[in-house]
Amino acid sequence: MSTDTDVDAREKSSNDSSSISSKVRSSADGKSNDGMTCAMSVEDISMMQLADSFFPTGMYTTSNGLEMFFYNKRVKSAEHLKSLLAVFLKQQIGPADCVALGNAYQAAGESNLARLVEIDNMLFSMRLIKEIREASVRSGIQLIRCLNHIVSNRKADSSSSSSNNNYSILESYDDAVRSKKANGVYPVALAVACNVFSIPKPKAGLILLYSFSISVIGAALRLGMLNHFQGQMIVDDLKPLMVTVVKENIDKPLSSMWQFAPEIDIVQMMHERLATKMFIT
Amino acid sequence: MSSKRIPRLGVGGPVGSGKTMLIERIVPILAARGYKVGIISNDVVSKEDAERMRRHLAKEMGIVPEELVIGVATGGCPHTAIREDPSMNLAIVEELESKYPYLDLIVIESGGDNITTTFSPALADYFIYIVDVSAGDKYPRKRGLGIETCDLLVINKVDLAPYVGADLSIMERDARIVRGSKPFVFVNCKTGEGIDKVVEHVIRDVLFEAPPKPISR
Repeated sequence: MSTDTDVDAREKSSNDSSSISSKVRSSADGKSNDGMTCAMSVEDISMMQLADSFFPTGMYTTSNGLEMFFYNKRVKSAEHLKSLLAVFLKQQIGPADCVALGNAYQAAGESNLARLVEIDNMLFSMRLIKEIREASVRSGIQLIRCLNHIVSNRKADSSSSSSNNNYSILESYDDAVRSKKANGVYPVALAVACNVFSIPKPKAGLILLYSFSISVIGAALRLGMLNHFQGQMIVDDLKPLMVTVVKENIDKPLSSMWQFAPEIDIVQMMHERLATKMFIT
Repeated sequence: MSSKRIPRLGVGGPVGSGKTMLIERIVPILAARGYKVGIISNDVVSKEDAERMRRHLAKEMGIVPEELVIGVATGGCPHTAIREDPSMNLAIVEELESKYPYLDLIVIESGGDNITTTFSPALADYFIYIVDVSAGDKYPRKRGLGIETCDLLVINKVDLAPYVGADLSIMERDARIVRGSKPFVFVNCKTGEGIDKVVEHVIRDVLFEAPPKPISR
């Protein structure tokens, strides 16, 4: 797909920004000032791009039931929130979303649309709460829309050698969503996106868990549950768990997908019915 | 299955400035002229505005089907929801375009202060910003993205001017200075005064005077 070359050297070789963007859009090694070699790639930046809360998927509008936990005084402190997030990751996002993502990543890599649609429908059917289901679909579809713009831009770059095989599965999946054969659930859309960006599968799993955690912590900040330092400490504390959950789930077969967090389900259903609320459940 | 893009009108303004009432005033006039409108309302902490419009425009007046008034929770970030990440609004707009292609216009309402409120060009084709005189006649002079960049500035509650010590001539002078050739309109949403002028702008500048689409549900 791409050859490893030096980013600095390539940037100096051309003043044409489009040329740079197309050439640099491949793996590269860099050398830090202290002489230590560190792996550096465009894929790493793509990973940051997709995980960034600035990436437009609308996930900030969803609290995943946290708002109801907060009003019920079931989650009152940073410690409580960290525990709740651990349950989410271990009991829902890991064994369900992450497994779906891993399988969808594989299917997208093999341009297997039928498999992608199957995974999409299976995960959709496991989203028990209507608002959560709809929010996931809306985020997934908007991710695909944004990706379409990025890919169109890449294709328009005439000097680009970016004839990425994964563009076709993006197009097929988008068509399947538009024709209602697939739903566009976020983890499957993310798997397609990570294929397009050549982000390795385990890192795709990390994006999923990280983005989810950040959206819930962001909701906690806006609810006034904690301050911004506490939010970052929770992120830091959860890092080892995120890695463990991805390692445990990303290569599991689709048939092993499960989730079990009944209290969260019930609280999300209660939240869904609230007349006055800041968040989509 | 690509849906045709339906023109989108963004209505923004501070809390209590009269956004919802402005929509409740202009939609019946558009409906009387045969235009079919869908409404998306972004609220900070509730869906009260959407429910009010649903009650008024759908149940009482019967001019907009209930399912075409949609409330959106914004996670406490109404500016983000219409500006840097309008994903949820765009998703709902696309759903409306797909389900109700006969609509002539989609109105997207969102609260937001005058300093930072703008609509993403990907979300709204035309942006009305509404303020009211009770916030003081200094409002246009204080500028801000909303007041400066909107396509149409609407200054509401003109009847309250004498009671709050607001001088409309100062507001008019400052609006001209701040907005240059861009239009502004004084209205009283309570009585309907000035609403026709807003509707004229919408029909001319958003709908480009196109006739209403034929009804085919």
